[in-house]
Amino acid sequence: MQFQMPSVGKWIVIALSLILGVAALYLRSRIPQLEKTDEGFKANKKKRNLFMMAGVLTLWLFSGLVLGCFVLSKSAFSVSISPARMDVFGLSMSSSVVMTWIVIAVFSVCAILIRIFVIPRFKETPHGIQLVLETAVGAINDLTREKYGHKNDGLASYFFAMATLFLGSAVVELVGFRPPTTDLSMTSSYALITFVMINVFGIYKKGIKGRAEAYIRPNAIIAPFKLISDLAVPISLACRLFGNMLGGMIVVELIYYALGAFSVGIPAVLGLYFNAFHPLIQFFIFINLSLTFIGEAVEEIE
Amino acid sequence: MTDIGLIAIGAGIAVLTGAGAGLGMGIATGKAVEAIARQPEAGSKINALLILGMALTESTAIYGFVISLIMIFTMGK
Repeated sequence: MQFQMPSVGKWIVIALSLILGVAALYLRSRIPQLEKTDEGFKANKKKRNLFMMAGVLTLWLFSGLVLGCFVLSKSAFSVSISPARMDVFGLSMSSSVVMTWIVIAVFSVCAILIRIFVIPRFKETPHGIQLVLETAVGAINDLTREKYGHKNDGLASYFFAMATLFLGSAVVELVGFRPPTTDLSMTSSYALITFVMINVFGIYKKGIKGRAEAYIRPNAIIAPFKLISDLAVPISLACRLFGNMLGGMIVVELIYYALGAFSVGIPAVLGLYFNAFHPLIQFFIFINLSLTFIGEAVEEIE
Repeated sequence: MTDIGLIAIGAGIAVLTGAGAGLGMGIATGKAVEAIARQPEAGSKINALLILGMALTESTAIYGFVISLIMIFTMGK
């Protein structure tokens, strides 16, 4: 990164945009704010909004021009589908593994702190952290009960852990690292856990005989198709999560690349959708689908 | 034609799965809106089902996207 002296014309544009932006904001503060009942309220509001927009836009232009003076080594746009490797105590590890361990460590410390300091002080009427915890636990409990039945056998706690891990992965992207969920091996491992759970719960509830009988129902001919559709479940779960997360990441990186020095403010708004809202929807879908498949496996057949 | 050109064409064809997914999602949303308009009190249940259905419909588009990505990033080398 090095400073590049802008030309005279550019200096003038920078100065003009700064002066115009500050002037517009100053003029806006001079316009008196009318009450809703006053005459000409709408025109007044329109004028204030217009000055606000002009000020923000010119200041945005100013920041972009100033940042544009610093020459970054700009390379062609490139995205890799596998995350970078890093060296941890002599072991070559994928950065997604390291990131996941950091997220797990942070959440473990938070859980221990909450267990020691917050849970003994719970009151009858929830307030603060207690309210958040009760809402989250209640939501996951309701979800598992709705899909799996009232004896949810610790499924709720497993899915709550999964949900917090997903949330942590999303927050990692907001800080600026590559999220672990954009790694196909990471999403595959989540999907494999679900696959194991489907079979373990199916055998636990119905026995090996009952689980095998589900394949030849209603006819023995469809057994291979059922086997294929069962084996396709982890692949489809992994690819869905991976594709969605990588797609969101590529879109955000493309915006950064396209805007260059002007990427102030706009990527933050888009990032709120692609980095915060989108992962939440995806983890809801992942958990919902896992629960649906587990519920299907333990279903009683008459 | 070079290899990378053929790979690019293949990746483009793989992403065409998005057309089917878009059609399916549009139909699903339309039906959900109709159902909610007819029975507004069932809205929350229909919403949950709609999101699940959307995820399943969307997965075809996602498979195409993943396959095109894998083609671009692994076959070209």
